[in-house]
Amino acid sequence: MTTNDLILFEDVSKFYGEVLGVNRVSLSLPPGVTTLVGPNGSGKSTLMNLMTGLVQPSSGRISVLGMTPGDPNAFFREVGYCTQFDSFPRGLTGWEFVFDSLLLHGMSGMDAHRLASEALARLGLTDAAYRKIAGYSKGMRQKVRLAQAVAHHPRVLVLDEPLNGLDPMARAESLALFEELSRQGMHLVISSHILDEVDRISDRVVLITGGYLVAQGDIHAVRREVRDKPMQVLIRCDRPELLASRMFTLNHCVEARLHADGGGVFLRTTDIDEFYRLLNGIATEGLVNIEAVAPADDDTQAIYQYLIGSEGGAS
Amino acid sequence: MGVIELDGLEVRLGGKPVLKGLTGELRGNAIGLLGPNGAGKSTLINTLLGFHTPSAGAARVFGLDSRRERVQIRERIGYMPENDSFIGNMSGVRFVRYMAELAGLPPAVALERAHEALFFVGLGEVRYRKISTYSLGMKQLIKLAQALAHGPRLLILDEPTNGLDPMARQRMIHTLSEVRKSGSIRLLISSHLLRDIDEICDEVLMLKQGRIAAISNIEEERRSHRNFIEIETVGETATFCDALRARGCECASFRGGRLKLVMPDSIDVRELYVAAGEHGVEIRRIHRRRDSLEDIFLRAMDMDPARGELVSI
Amino acid sequence: MSVFKLEYRAYEGRVTPRWWRVGVLVRYGLAEAWSSRVTVGLFTLAMLPVLVDLVVIYLANNSVARMMVTPGKTFPLTIDAKFFLRVLSVQCWLGLVLNAWVAPRLVSFDLADNALPILLSHPVSRFGYVLGKLLSLFAILSLVTWVPCLLLFAYQAYISPQAWLSANVQVGFGLVAGSLLWIALVSMIGLALSSWVKWRMVATGVVFAAVFVPAGVGGVITGILRTRWGFLLNIPVMMTELWQRLLGSPTVMKSDIDLPTGAIAAVLAAGVAVCVAMLNARIRAREVVRG
Repeated sequence: MTTNDLILFEDVSKFYGEVLGVNRVSLSLPPGVTTLVGPNGSGKSTLMNLMTGLVQPSSGRISVLGMTPGDPNAFFREVGYCTQFDSFPRGLTGWEFVFDSLLLHGMSGMDAHRLASEALARLGLTDAAYRKIAGYSKGMRQKVRLAQAVAHHPRVLVLDEPLNGLDPMARAESLALFEELSRQGMHLVISSHILDEVDRISDRVVLITGGYLVAQGDIHAVRREVRDKPMQVLIRCDRPELLASRMFTLNHCVEARLHADGGGVFLRTTDIDEFYRLLNGIATEGLVNIEAVAPADDDTQAIYQYLIGSEGGAS
Repeated sequence: MGVIELDGLEVRLGGKPVLKGLTGELRGNAIGLLGPNGAGKSTLINTLLGFHTPSAGAARVFGLDSRRERVQIRERIGYMPENDSFIGNMSGVRFVRYMAELAGLPPAVALERAHEALFFVGLGEVRYRKISTYSLGMKQLIKLAQALAHGPRLLILDEPTNGLDPMARQRMIHTLSEVRKSGSIRLLISSHLLRDIDEICDEVLMLKQGRIAAISNIEEERRSHRNFIEIETVGETATFCDALRARGCECASFRGGRLKLVMPDSIDVRELYVAAGEHGVEIRRIHRRRDSLEDIFLRAMDMDPARGELVSI
Repeated sequence: MSVFKLEYRAYEGRVTPRWWRVGVLVRYGLAEAWSSRVTVGLFTLAMLPVLVDLVVIYLANNSVARMMVTPGKTFPLTIDAKFFLRVLSVQCWLGLVLNAWVAPRLVSFDLADNALPILLSHPVSRFGYVLGKLLSLFAILSLVTWVPCLLLFAYQAYISPQAWLSANVQVGFGLVAGSLLWIALVSMIGLALSSWVKWRMVATGVVFAAVFVPAGVGGVITGILRTRWGFLLNIPVMMTELWQRLLGSPTVMKSDIDLPTGAIAAVLAAGVAVCVAMLNARIRAREVVRG
């Protein structure tokens, strides 16, 4: 993968006077969906602003698909940014907002017209396009911001909490849109607090707290690397204590914890592959009646808890 | 007598009808309010609070009419609005105390309960600072504290986890669950995050375009529909699937070793494991799919819940 | 019994009566107003003329003291309705300044961060909310208008011969009535404008403008159309007329401004009605955006 295909951060730091934005961050993001996860005030917005060229790093180098903000014409044509802030120029309709921002990219009126209609149709706003934004619901305002970010067909799309305020169907549609865009080879960088949605669509996750990068990569790979917390699996069955003792006999568990409702057990193991082999064996014997088996901490929520926890974050 | 009763409720805003004839009764301990944007959720909440008058029909809270007995309703309600809503110039304690006194508590008691509420929601030393200096998470918590301080019978929450980071969101959900468990207070929560509603609520009201799309009791829904099983496997699944079909299961296979099964009652999970062992397949995950809130919601909105990417695993 | 868990519990105790809630608004409004040093400063400023007047009254009734202060010269110093008209005017205009500072403080903090949905979700109606703010203003403005004026009047009645009081009873009533009218007018203007203007400092300026700018317009009308009805836009003139009549004082202004009391009352009532409409539009829990 050449640098023209990557978003590269090399030892980037950003300080606002004395206040820390991010400190010595190195990233290399290929095409696909990357999700930024972290508490409020951890540096996610700073990273996004650095990526879109809105602020310059205090030190370090940034290269987005081989370009730098030094050449704004080319740079901003390829990057689309949808902020989390809910403000618009006053008195505009949805159509005007998208159209005007396309004109700002230097397009001709006809091209801008065509792309604006396309973008608004893609997000389902054609009917409401000619009404003033001030009269939109929160979800519609979010969609019109998204429309503005994708209208000029950028290759990099940076989205700051894009699902905020959307109802469940709109969320599903937006997630489907993001997946489709990533299949077309775009770089999507999305920041979100809703971790189960993160799990659904991300190719990789970047965890950040207090201005420092804590983890980066495919979530399952990250989980395997967190070695001081062995993998945990929840097994729901009719005799959880029996299952736990059997696992201990086979010398394979490091920890067993009964579920609060008494119908299951959390088992921790350092060798997950061997664990499943043994579990299949026990189940075949018919020792216990297994109802459900699921990894209990192989998702972003668990990683977040282990690596960032409750101390991370200003609140 | 239910918590909320709707009797042919119609509300018009700016001449346009927003709520078009809602009729139903809600009795749950924690009621979820769901629906697409523009369905009328905020309007319904505002009507219950007495901010809008119905153009026809009635809405009742604990048997009190929302138009004629507004003041009595407001005495029994705590409200946590969706948007920022506070008096920036006051400290957290003062604001909560002010609201508690307005709700009818004598001044000394108001101060005590204000501190209790602040402790309960988890705001520590920060309570003595002016609210304009608070972070987003703290502002959400102060809204919750002022809604709880006077001990209302019904707590109305509009997007309580809005903008909170994952840990704060978990704490908020945990706090709300504690409130619900205490038993003396009912909740009405409007949210777009189905997971939150699923965790806290036991009854759900779904609105669509100003009408009721569904009222459903989540507990009852969960107890039924236990025939679907989803499994994740490692190994070559083709022969395994054939073997299962031969025994009467319906089997659909997806990318990544995922299989969706509908098993007849005669087969239990042990036979699945035995068959898997015979065909060189290792089962890594078993999940019994019950109708999740997402399915119920999508069905109520006339959408097809079978679309793979919309279903939670 | 050693582990205590704080659980959320419902409230079962005494609930204050409904009218008390308005009192809560008044108390917190007063606390907010007095927490500002400017308020204290303006209040002190408004008390200075009272002290001066106190001394004047003493001197007027005590010729010995007068001769000590101004030896040789004796000039007439009568305490009559005209004197109290001046006192009332000065206090009321200083009260306007205080109002222009305090009224925005009472309202704009609630509006700035959208606290109204939470406030109005409590058992206090919009009317109760406005009434509470008005009563706070009433309390503060009373302290600088009719309370000191009435005290001066009482002092004068005390140290002057009996005949003075029986001849000037109307002055006492006039002081109270004139003050109340003024308080009603400026407090409504203050609250209404504060609810419409976002920034507090601008609101203060707008309150002054609302009182004086129409006077300029009225002056133009009077000049061009050569009619006295232009003065109906001139609040200072109208109020002075009213105060004159209430106190029973001889006219202090040019005689060709002779406005019927009914007309003045009608205009002022219309002004207050406009303020009520403005408050009604702004003090709402929800805004409906059209289009």
